Amino acid sequence: MPAPIQSPLERRYARLGLLLIAPTVLIFCAVIIYPLVSAIYLSLFRVFTPTLESSWVGLSNYRELLASGVFWKALWNTLIWTAGTLTLQIVLGIGMALVLHQNIWFRSLARSLILFPYFISTVVAVLVWKWVFNDLYGILNHLLMRGGIIDMPIDYLGSMPNAMISVILVGAWKYFPFVVIAVLARLQTIPEPLYEAARIDGAGPIARFFDVTLPQLRDVLVVIIMLRAIWDFKEFDLIWLLTGGGPSSSTETLPIVVYRQAFALNQMGMAAAWAVSMMAILLVFMIVYIRRTREKETA
Amino acid sequence: MMRKFLGPVVLNVFAWTTILAVAFPLFWMLVTSVKPQSELFRRPPTMLPESWTFEHYWHLLSQTNFLVYFRNSVMLSTVTTLLVVTVATLGAYSLVRFRYRGRESLAFMVLFTYLLPSVVLIIPLYLMLVSMGLSNTLFSLVIAYTTFALPYALWLMRSFMAGVPDDLEYAAMVDGASRMGAFVDVILPQLLPGIISTALFTFILSWNEYLYALVLVNSDEARPLTTGVMNMLISSFNIEWSLLMAASVMMSVPLIIVFAFLQSYLTRGFGAGAVKG
Repeated sequence: MPAPIQSPLERRYARLGLLLIAPTVLIFCAVIIYPLVSAIYLSLFRVFTPTLESSWVGLSNYRELLASGVFWKALWNTLIWTAGTLTLQIVLGIGMALVLHQNIWFRSLARSLILFPYFISTVVAVLVWKWVFNDLYGILNHLLMRGGIIDMPIDYLGSMPNAMISVILVGAWKYFPFVVIAVLARLQTIPEPLYEAARIDGAGPIARFFDVTLPQLRDVLVVIIMLRAIWDFKEFDLIWLLTGGGPSSSTETLPIVVYRQAFALNQMGMAAAWAVSMMAILLVFMIVYIRRTREKETA
Repeated sequence: MMRKFLGPVVLNVFAWTTILAVAFPLFWMLVTSVKPQSELFRRPPTMLPESWTFEHYWHLLSQTNFLVYFRNSVMLSTVTTLLVVTVATLGAYSLVRFRYRGRESLAFMVLFTYLLPSVVLIIPLYLMLVSMGLSNTLFSLVIAYTTFALPYALWLMRSFMAGVPDDLEYAAMVDGASRMGAFVDVILPQLLPGIISTALFTFILSWNEYLYALVLVNSDEARPLTTGVMNMLISSFNIEWSLLMAASVMMSVPLIIVFAFLQSYLTRGFGAGAVKG
């Protein structure tokens, strides 16, 4: 708890502090808080985008939304995408971090190569993968056919369940470097004596991983999983650009429906209701994460 | 003896096979961008181009709007970064080093907005910017980009600021410097690596943004690279993959520069805000 403000100097400092935070607060209010509140307000109206004609409908947008199967389908798709890509990111991320933690040749080059997908634009990632996935001239179909794994070219993005699997895979490829870097940083701080003790006790490499490494990684993994779950849940670019939600809305996640409602179907009010519902679900994760961070800071 | 030699070799072969598999799509992008059109559709495909050409790059720069998009992206990302990093540095200084009512709640407000999905803000922001007559301008995108860039930069700067020892500031003040004088002379130099890595992250984030650009800008004069290049894919009759791959490579150039020279700042940023949270 901050001490009660007393001396004139402290009061002057408090004023300076407020002055320094003022631009942040102003910008936050103008571009985040105000839009956030108006999104909630807007969700109580029926708005036709091109003319912006609107009429008050109360909660009927929400009633309509929850009664329609589309919402639950989209939520289900979002959960499958999030769970699938998150699991892959974590598993691949830990695996790759363990490899990069070893003394391999050209380690810094290896780290750069692994890190790169995370920083490139989603547009670039999608263009490259669309070309790799191309059904006629794509390299992936060619390699798989030459390797005798498949006989016929696969349609990666135009049929189910391939489209969902492909999106999940590309998502994992793009975002697993985040896990690698975070885990790698933590690995480097695990005290070596822990491993020596385990070795003396006769633990093999696998036992050492489960008995020493994993418990030490626990805290950082919880944070990574929560952050990535939030980010994957709200992912728009990657899925929209790869499949556009297709084939026939089978990869349509909540953010994509919001976008389509607002800017393709021209139903701004309904779109706002979708967005607010989506945020309500996300809020559960966000609160858990924020609570945890707060506990850590005060501890 | 044999085992001692073989172990590392097996590890390295395994490690590098996986690493190259991960990097393969990027390698393929580079290869495709320098293949002549005639070689592109050959079966079986050539892993390395038999003859190299830069015609696609030339085509991209001379016959498409790519340079306009590139200029827009540079301006947009630079302005956003300068604005956001300035505001965030002052804000973080205030949040970490000053005591006033509401400070804690503000800090968690920042974290909350950092996690907020863009699609929630985009509808009211769109309406707001259209009614202000700002749609189809780069300025509207700068405003929109601050919604995600500012919370992000603040959160990062906050943990960098917490890493600068208090004593330095007090020592300067004992020597007669004012509070802001101490900030400029003592804290800023200490904070510089953190500022650089925040600026890099903000720049990359703005450079890569797609959704706001898609919604808010609908004219080629103000389109940044992400939507501009994507438009080249959608609007063309038969997709010219070499051209698109050349565009992808060009679009990644700033990133390649950062990777080559400033990579330590990127990993530092990871350690500071993104992960520790």
